[in-house]
Amino acid sequence: MTVHDDRAKPPCIAAWLIVLFASAEDESLLGDLLEEFSELASTSGAAVARRWYWRQALQSTPHLFVNGFRSAPWSTTAVVVAGYLLIKVLFPLPEKALFAVLHRYRVFDRHFNVYVFFATDGAAMVHVLMSMLLGCFVGLTASKREMIAATTLVLVLLGMTGAASVAWVTRGNSSMLWSMLPWNLADWLAMLAGAAIIRSHRLAASTATLGR
Amino acid sequence: MSSRDYLGEFEHLIVLAVLRLADQAYGVTVRQEIQNRTRREVSIGAVYATLDRLEAKGYVKSCLGDPTPERGGRSKRFFAVTTKGVTAVNRTQRALESMNEGLELAGAIDDCA
Repeated sequence: MTVHDDRAKPPCIAAWLIVLFASAEDESLLGDLLEEFSELASTSGAAVARRWYWRQALQSTPHLFVNGFRSAPWSTTAVVVAGYLLIKVLFPLPEKALFAVLHRYRVFDRHFNVYVFFATDGAAMVHVLMSMLLGCFVGLTASKREMIAATTLVLVLLGMTGAASVAWVTRGNSSMLWSMLPWNLADWLAMLAGAAIIRSHRLAASTATLGR
Repeated sequence: MSSRDYLGEFEHLIVLAVLRLADQAYGVTVRQEIQNRTRREVSIGAVYATLDRLEAKGYVKSCLGDPTPERGGRSKRFFAVTTKGVTAVNRTQRALESMNEGLELAGAIDDCA
């Protein structure tokens, strides 16, 4: 027997994923997904409909990303280049400041474990925080295409890290690579999270404006 | 005549679906039409990305319907094939028919093996 569930709602995270990557012109796409989800929930049940929605969200996101990039390739590239230059200019600064403080207070001599922590994981954590701020910057600069620009930047960094990793492995420095990769992954996720925060904030603000 | 005058495989399917659905062609119906007839799962994102591309080429045009509560207050975007789109479909069909002419596909792979 088929369970009818009129109150079924699409999975929040899948719906959020679509909203993050959909442009203003994709409003109808969100309505189409909701319409088909409601039909499927009433005929086959909420669980089947939720699974279908997740599949649709995961399969549609790459298309939305490519479509978003195609619709404004130059402005998106400009934001990505600006983001990359910021990484090159700003990212070494907090690390330099951190080591300046550590040396100023002679942490190495007095608290060796604290020094090791800040010199390794502490510096990496600062990078993650900087990546999130950079994601916010990219989101603020790329009007209405926050996630498209941030994802493009992450893909560029991913490609560069991939090339560097191959070079390291061929030179026999793979142990350092494995210790750095998780932090690189955290940096990229933080960058996407920063852009997602800006995107969500803008969408909430525009919804509130329309509601008035 | 440039290669841009021909439709890609998925573009071809989308234009044919829009033609079949006439004035009822919007995201949901186009996706379901292709899925039901070709038996392959199609994502709504792929449908919209292709329709946007076809619209940019001038092969289809779109207009928004009224927003409805069951769609979360969002409008349907209806699509229609333009004259230029029909010409592109005919040209692509003719090219495919020309390539198929005289071919006996059944058993071709077995013969090779």
